[in-house]
Formats: sequence, structure tokens, C-alpha cells
Amino acid sequence: MLLLESAPHVPTIAEGILWAILASPIVAWALIVLYVRKLPKIAGWLTVAGVGTACALSFVTLFNVIDASGGIAIHTHEWFTAGNLTVHFGVRVDGLTAVMLVVVTSVSLLVQVYSHGYMAGDPGYGRYFAHMCLFTTSMLGLVLADNLFMMFMFWELVGLSSYLLIGFWFHKPSAAAAAKKAFIVTRVGDLGLLAGMLLIWSKTGTFQVDEIQKIASEGLVAHWVVTWFALGIFAGAAGKSAQFPLHVWLPDAMEGPTPVSALIHAATMVAAGVYLVARFFPVFEASGDARLVVAWIGGITALIAATIALVQTDFKRVLAYSTISQLGYMMLALGAFGYVAAIFHLFTHAFFKALLFLGSGSVNHATNTFDMRKMGGLRKQMPVTYWTFVIGSLSLAGIFPLAGFWSKDEILLAAWRESRGLWIIGFSVAFMTAAYMFRAIFLTFHGTYKGGEPVDHHDPDNHFHGDPAHPHESPWVMAGPLAVLAVPAIAAGWFNINGAFGDFILHALPETTEKGSEFAWGIAISSTLVALAGIFVAYAVYIREWVTSKTIREGFAPLAMVFERKYFLDNLYEDFFVRTVLQRGWNRLLELNDKYVVDGIVNGSASLAGSVSRRAGVVQNGQFQTYGLGFAAGVIVVVVAVFAAHPL
Amino acid sequence: MNGIDVAGPQIAVLGAAGVILLVDALVPQQRRLLPFIALIGLAVSALWTISWVARDDYQTAFGGTLSLDHFSVFFYFLFAGITAMVVLASIDWVNREGRGQGEYYALVLTACSGLMFLSAGRDLITIFIALELSSIPQYVLAGWGKDVRSSEAGLKYLLLGAIASSLLLYGMALLYGVTGTTMLAEIGETIAWSGDANRSVLVVAMTLLIAGFGFKMAVVPFQMWVPDVYQGAPTPVAAYLSVGSKAAAFAVVTRIFFEALGARFLSDDWSNVFAVLAAVTMTVGNVMAIVQTDIKRMLGYSSIAQAGNFLVGLAAISVAGGEFTLGASGVLFFLAAYAFTNLGVFVAVIAISQKIGSDQIRDYAGMWKRSPFLSLGLAFCLVSLTGIPPTAGFWAKLYIFNAGIRADLTWLVVVGVLNSLVSAYYYWGVIRQLFTGASEDSTAIRTSPSIGLSLGVAAAGVFVFGILPMPLISAARDAAAIFAQH
Repeated sequence: MLLLESAPHVPTIAEGILWAILASPIVAWALIVLYVRKLPKIAGWLTVAGVGTACALSFVTLFNVIDASGGIAIHTHEWFTAGNLTVHFGVRVDGLTAVMLVVVTSVSLLVQVYSHGYMAGDPGYGRYFAHMCLFTTSMLGLVLADNLFMMFMFWELVGLSSYLLIGFWFHKPSAAAAAKKAFIVTRVGDLGLLAGMLLIWSKTGTFQVDEIQKIASEGLVAHWVVTWFALGIFAGAAGKSAQFPLHVWLPDAMEGPTPVSALIHAATMVAAGVYLVARFFPVFEASGDARLVVAWIGGITALIAATIALVQTDFKRVLAYSTISQLGYMMLALGAFGYVAAIFHLFTHAFFKALLFLGSGSVNHATNTFDMRKMGGLRKQMPVTYWTFVIGSLSLAGIFPLAGFWSKDEILLAAWRESRGLWIIGFSVAFMTAAYMFRAIFLTFHGTYKGGEPVDHHDPDNHFHGDPAHPHESPWVMAGPLAVLAVPAIAAGWFNINGAFGDFILHALPETTEKGSEFAWGIAISSTLVALAGIFVAYAVYIREWVTSKTIREGFAPLAMVFERKYFLDNLYEDFFVRTVLQRGWNRLLELNDKYVVDGIVNGSASLAGSVSRRAGVVQNGQFQTYGLGFAAGVIVVVVAVFAAHPL
Repeated sequence: MNGIDVAGPQIAVLGAAGVILLVDALVPQQRRLLPFIALIGLAVSALWTISWVARDDYQTAFGGTLSLDHFSVFFYFLFAGITAMVVLASIDWVNREGRGQGEYYALVLTACSGLMFLSAGRDLITIFIALELSSIPQYVLAGWGKDVRSSEAGLKYLLLGAIASSLLLYGMALLYGVTGTTMLAEIGETIAWSGDANRSVLVVAMTLLIAGFGFKMAVVPFQMWVPDVYQGAPTPVAAYLSVGSKAAAFAVVTRIFFEALGARFLSDDWSNVFAVLAAVTMTVGNVMAIVQTDIKRMLGYSSIAQAGNFLVGLAAISVAGGEFTLGASGVLFFLAAYAFTNLGVFVAVIAISQKIGSDQIRDYAGMWKRSPFLSLGLAFCLVSLTGIPPTAGFWAKLYIFNAGIRADLTWLVVVGVLNSLVSAYYYWGVIRQLFTGASEDSTAIRTSPSIGLSLGVAAAGVFVFGILPMPLISAARDAAAIFAQH
């Protein structure tokens, strides 16, 4: 157990170790890219070795920072200077970084091991691991960076690798479309981040995180700058962490391979937005307004996503909406001064949500489908998957004494202190979370098996092994990581029982208004009861069938329709913005460009595409003179313009 | 002897050209040695330049018309490197073409010496002669191919080049008429001394110089030859034009405008002209590039758009704090970064087009499976052209846009950033074809050692300067600093 004995001091960890953490997955990436065509089989092992090294070094870093009681070490170097623009290249390590490093590398390591089994036989096996290495490196770079500029670079690299992995099966139109959607929607948020970055640089002249934190919290720059900068950061974070109204890409991102969903779209990348807001927490504190925006957007996201999760029939999409909902929880916490609560929940959520996703992949491996209507009764054939999945779900639902209980409790406490409205949202989300998770469990693992999806042997892309009619437990490379992840899903919450985790990561901030965490019996008991109620409702509907789900659906028909249609946001974006405004506008623009600009300027030069005779005769037939005329006209226009702008 | 020493780097290159012609004529069975002689000549030239850097005793020669300084040294290295890459990239093509191998390499080297003289000239007449020395071999090279397209390209380039030269000469004559001298430094002093009494003539002269060099720089509206010639000329020659003669034109414009036309009342005018031309040039280049289906034509428009980016650096002279060479150093840095990048793109295009027999972008589909090396190299260089890290092109854009902001040209930087977004569209289109397109033919494409080496060097340069840009930036800053005293 963590216990910080002394005042924080600078960690002694060698700078080289920090760079080695960043380098080891990228070395694996380079080796795969260079040699994979000859030895595709080694790609998986190279990845495990690279990520494993990073993981071991991350633990070394964590223990070193614990020794230093959560102090901060910054190693920075001048990278580029031009005039007054200086960009640094450096690493920063503190409690927050160390926790993130351990979360990213350990989940990544387990997911890579699991992928050996899950991706076996896929023709893109080598490419898959190359992308995974690239992703892990970018994520580590984002976490280690000591300045906003580097953060932004790695942020974009994370986005790129996510794009590549969502569209991993790019010959499937749905996967290609999902990748494009994710890329574009997150770019919208990143535009805000970029604007915020430029704003803070133009006003303060620095990209360094510690300097920006200091400037913002000491009020050395105008309040509106702080607020708009914070909102820019949050725009980027909302894109990546799938916050309303930019959350629409995450459910579609489930088109990627399931281990990708577990690592990127559940445990790490989507948490990057939460990390970014936490990193600049003093800025949000200083702004006030921006902090409230974060809290309420987080709350709205948590609520919307939880309601949609209630009506999904796709196993993975339930988990996707659950992830969005939990990310909303974290944002809500950050906005309610719950810095520790948010990071703590990020920490525990990474483990149990990765576990749940890998569990869904295991089910898919047996049944060849994610459609829960074609499953049922799997608990007998797949005991490891079933029990680990139940542990993950109980943890997510927040049942004592599993990991999720402790972190969710702190979030609800923060919400309670900030505003009753936020607490009510959080409280009802806790109910829905328990209900939709156990609905999924009952549909998948209980009742009778409905046969899965028959294998289509004519589909050249289908590499399914085994027989969906007779599901079986997954091989040890897949079941092993499930069992391993079940341990932190149970125990990760115990780190903060005495507030040690909180103290540890609090020292990453220059100063703080947050009091250490405490335990509030009222919050804890009420949230546990409401979660149990959620489980009971699912039990009543799907096991006992006292009320059938059909009756409920009919009773709340309009509401259910809104949930099923995902609040019509996809229709708004895709049908209106994309199809109507953008596509038509863009086509029209291209048409105009073709018609007026291209035809107008280069009419003559079409000669090269024309007939030989025209080509040969081109010098005589006008176009050369056109070019000469352009010259003369250019000279005259410039001279006239100069004299017009600046007369004699 | 001093003069020969100062002009040593050029003389080495010209000497190699002579040796090549002799070897070609006397021992024709040893033709495959020709490119190596060219490379040796370039290496000697670079060594000679290094010896000057080591001596650290820069001087002028031939009555001050030729200046060896940080600025010309920067470009000597750049041109030797560019020409070496072009020679490497030409070997396959020249071997296949068969005829006139000696002449081809000799012309490439002669043009190189002309480019070097251009960057070192401090006298209008020297500059003009150097310009012709570099241009005439390029006219011939552009028409080197056997097909009618290449002949058309050569002829078009020659005729329009003649117009450009005549405008340039007219501008130089006006400058001489006003100041009574052809030496750049003296012109600058005379103008500073006489004030804006002759402003009207000077503005006309300045505009004619912009037009004359704008032709080589590919600046709108003097750019119209570019797509036709790039498409028609042999691809290695197009590569040479796109980086070599463009860089030389920017070098000489920088020197003339800072040294001779640096007087405040003129520099305000030309920096405004460059700012507007920059915006127009990048926009026209990018908008036209979007609709191209032929990769060489697209690269032609892309090179126009990039010229617009360079002009931002020339426009950015009113930087606060007396750092008015910040923009100029940005131009030099950008030119070097662009040389690696664009050569890399062209080398990959040479290799791919030769094998698939097409320049159509859609025929590049699925190239990733046929040649991962060429596809990765091409994609990486296109990423650099777009200006995305970790590439040299990213820092170049950042540097030059920062100079623009510091010189209160925020509107121009906004135009530049929007243009970068547009350019991402068509560069990305090629990358997408490479990696996701499906190709009917899936035979592997083997790259020859010379192509492999040149693409490897180019991509490595883009990457290394993308990770560690400071050495190149310091060199560019030192080179531009010679104008700081004016």
C-alpha cells in the first residue's frame, strides 16, 4: 500500500529511463515495419517485448516517484528556436504521469498478449501489431511530454493510430466509414485544442505545462485568456474522450478489432482527454466558467450515454456507451473539483473496462457475433469469461468492495458538494449502469443458447475458427489476460482507502484547493443501494420475466425510440451537416473550381491531354502567347498596384 | 590564383563536366562510369567548399563580383547535394534512353555551376551570365526526351525563359541607369544616399526583377509554364527544375533585394508585393493541384504553392527587434528542407512511373503491396510537404509562419495555414491511393541501388532534420546574417 512519508521531493529517476519507456515500443514498431514481411509471426512477440520493457520501466518509474513522495521531475531541452518562438523537447514525471504510465503499459501489455490469440490467422497480423506499437508510443509520449507542443504532436499521433486501427479491416465499408468518422469528429475538437494552444502561446510565449499552470493560477494573464484556453483544451478533450456532442464516433469505432476497443477505446486513448484536463486542472480552477462547462458537459454525457446503453442489442455497443458514460463521470468529477476522484476513476475504469471488452471479444471468439439476441446460456461453456465478466460488471456497477465502488463513490461525493443537480445525474447514472450491465450479462450468459452467427465460408474476410453452434472457452492467451485483469478490477480501489493515492497524484499540481478524499457513509450506502436496485431490475426483467422488456418498451415507446435513435444526433450530423451542407457544398466548390478557375486559367494548356497534332502545333495556336501575355499583365498589375498603394 | 580558389567549387563541377565529355568521346565502352565522375566532381566541389569553411577566411574575387560568404557557402552545399541526388536519380532513365549519356551529365553539371555562380554573384552582369549559364543547359535538358511532349516542354521553357530574361535584363538596365553601377552593394549605397528621388524608375526596375526571377521561382503570374514543363520534361529534369533552379532564384532574389534594394522606402514596397504574391501564388497552386490526375502535373502545382510559402519569408522583413533577416533565414531553411522533400517525392515518382508506365495518380493504387519502400518514402515526403511533424517540412512551415506573424503579416499566415489544409487534401489523396487502393497488377517493383540510395538519403534528411532541426537552422541563420549589416 502506498504511504507517503515525507514531503515531496524531486524523483531521482534517470532521464534515460523515461526516454527508454518512450523508445521501446517504437523500436518494436520499426522492427516490425522493416522485417515483418519476412517473419510475420514474430510481430506479436516483438510487440510484447517492446511494451513489456516499457511496462517494467514504468513500474520502476512509479516506485521511484513514490519514493519521492510524488515530487515532480522535469528534464527539458531546447528543440527549435526561431525568433521568440522556442519549442522544448522534454519529459516530465510526477504522480499523475507515473500512474498513467503504469495504466497504459500494463493494459497494453495484457491486450497484446490477448491479441496473439484473437488476431491469429488474420492476414493483417503484422500490420495490426505495428499499429498497436505506434499507438502505445504515442500514448506514452502524450503522458510524458512536458510541454503542450509535444503533447499536441503525440495527441495527433494517437488520433492517427486510432484511425488506422478502427479502419483495420478497411475492406469492410462500415469499418472504413467508422474510421473516417472518428478521424473527422475528433479533428473538430482538435481544432479547438490548436486554437487554445496558439492563444496561450501568443499571450504568454510558452508551451511549458508548469509555466502555463503557474501563469494561470497566479492570474498573470487576462481572465478571458484563461477561460478560452481552458475551453480550447476541453474541446480537444471532448473530441478524444467522446463527450457530448462529439461522442458520436466512439460507438462506431467498435468496428475495429475488439482488443483495440479494449485498449484504445476503453482504457487509454479515450481517457487521454480526461488526462489533458487533469494536467491543466489549475487552469480550469482559475477560470471557473470553464470548469462548470466541464462539469455539466460531463454530466450530460454520462446521462445520455447511459440511457442509450439501456436499449442496445450489440454486446460491444453496450460497452461503448458505457465507456462514454463513465468518461462523462470523470469529466463531471473534474468539473466539480474532484481531480483525485476523476484520475482515480480513470485508473480503476481502465482495468475493469478493458476486462469487459476483452470478455466481449472472448464471447465473439466463441459465437462469431456481437448480437446479444443470438447468444444466451454461455456461462456453462465459458466459465472463465463469465466469472471475470461478472467481476468487471460488479466493479463497474460500483458494488462494495470492488474497484469501481471506491472511485465512483468519490465522484458522487464531489458532485454532491458542487451541486445537487450534478449529484442527481450521477446517482441516476449509477442505477442505469448496473441495470444495463446486468441486462447484458443475463442476455449473454444466462437462459438458453440461441446458436450464434453461422460462419459464412464464402466470405474471404472471415477467418473464424471453430463452430459457433458449439461455443467453447477461449484459449489461454485470451483467458489468461482476463484472469489477470480481474485482480485490479477487484483490488485497484483499495489504494485510496487511506487517501494515499490522492495525496500521491495531488503533488503533481502546483497548488490545490482540494481537500483529501474522505468517506461519506450516506453517499456510499445510497449509491450501493441504487446499484443493487439496477441489478434487481435487470434480474426481474430478463431472468424472472415478471415484466417483459417488450412491455416496458411499449410503455415508454417515445422515450425508447429517442434512446434507440441515439437522440437523433447521428441524423443531425450525417444527414444534415455532412450530406447536405458539406458534401453538397464541397461538390459545388469543386464544380466551380473546375468550371471557372481551372478551365479559365488553363484552357490552353489542355494541349498535353489533347491530340498529337494539337500538341505539335501548340506553340503557334495561342497558348504560348497567353503565357507571355500573363507575364506582361503581371508586370503591369504589380507596378500599378504599388503606385496605387503608395503614390509618388 | 585567388579568383580560381574562390571559384573552386564551380570549377570542380565544370571540370567534371569536361572530363565526362572526354570520357564519353574517347572511351565510350566505359560509359557507365559517367555518373560516378559527376558524383566525384560534386564531391570535390563540396570538399573545396569545406576547405573554405575550415579556413574561415571568406573573400571576394574578380573585382568583387563573386563573393564567397556564409550565404553562398550554404547554397554551394545545397546545389552540390541537389545535383548529386539528381544524378543518382537519372542513372536508370539515362541508361534506358541510351543516347547522349555524356552530354546529359555534362549539361546537368554545367547547370549546377551556373546555380552556384548565381548564389555567389554580387554584380548584376555576373548574375545575369550565371542565370544564362544555368538556364541554357536546363532548356536542353527539358527537351531531352524522345517524345513530342518533351520537345514541347523544352521549347516552351526556352521561349518563356527568353521573355523572362529580357524582362530581367531590362530591369537591370534601369537599375544601372539610376545608379550608374552594376555592383549590388554600390547600388544599395547610391539608392540610400539619393533617397526616393528616383522611386518611380526603381519600382519599375524592381517589378521587372520580380517578373524575371519570378519565372524561375514559379510565382504567379509568371508560373504558367510550370505544369506543362514538369509534365513534359523527363522526370529527373523536372526534379532538378523544381528544387535547383527554384532555390537559386530565391537565393539571388534574397541577395539583390536585401543588398541592392534594401532602402526602407523600397523594401516596404517589395515586401508588400511579395506578401500579396505569396497569398495569390499559394492559393492558385493549391486550388489547381486539387483537380489534377497526373502526378507530375500535380507536383508542378504543388511546387507553385510551395513557392508561395517561401515568399512569406521574403515578405516578412519588418520583424520587430531588428531581426529583419528572420524571414530570409526562414526561406533558406525552407529551401533546404524542401530540397530533400521534393527530391524524395520525385525520385519515388521516377521509380514508380518507370515500372508502371503511367503518371496517373489512380495507377498508384495499392503500391504499398508492390513496393513498401517506395510507398513509405513517397508517403513520408508527402507528409513533409504538407507540413506535419516529425518532418523537416513541418519546422520549415512553422519557422516561416512564425516570421510572418512577427512581421505583422497575420492575415498572410492565416491564408498560408488554410492553404496547408487544402494541400493536405491532395497530398493525402496520393497517400490513400498508395496504401488502400486495390491494384490489378501485384508484381513487386524492385528498386535499383541508385534510386534506393537517393530516396533513402532524401527521406533520411527529411526525418533527421524533422527530429533535429537546429543544425540546419543555425546554418540558415548564419547565411542570412550577412545581410544584417545593411
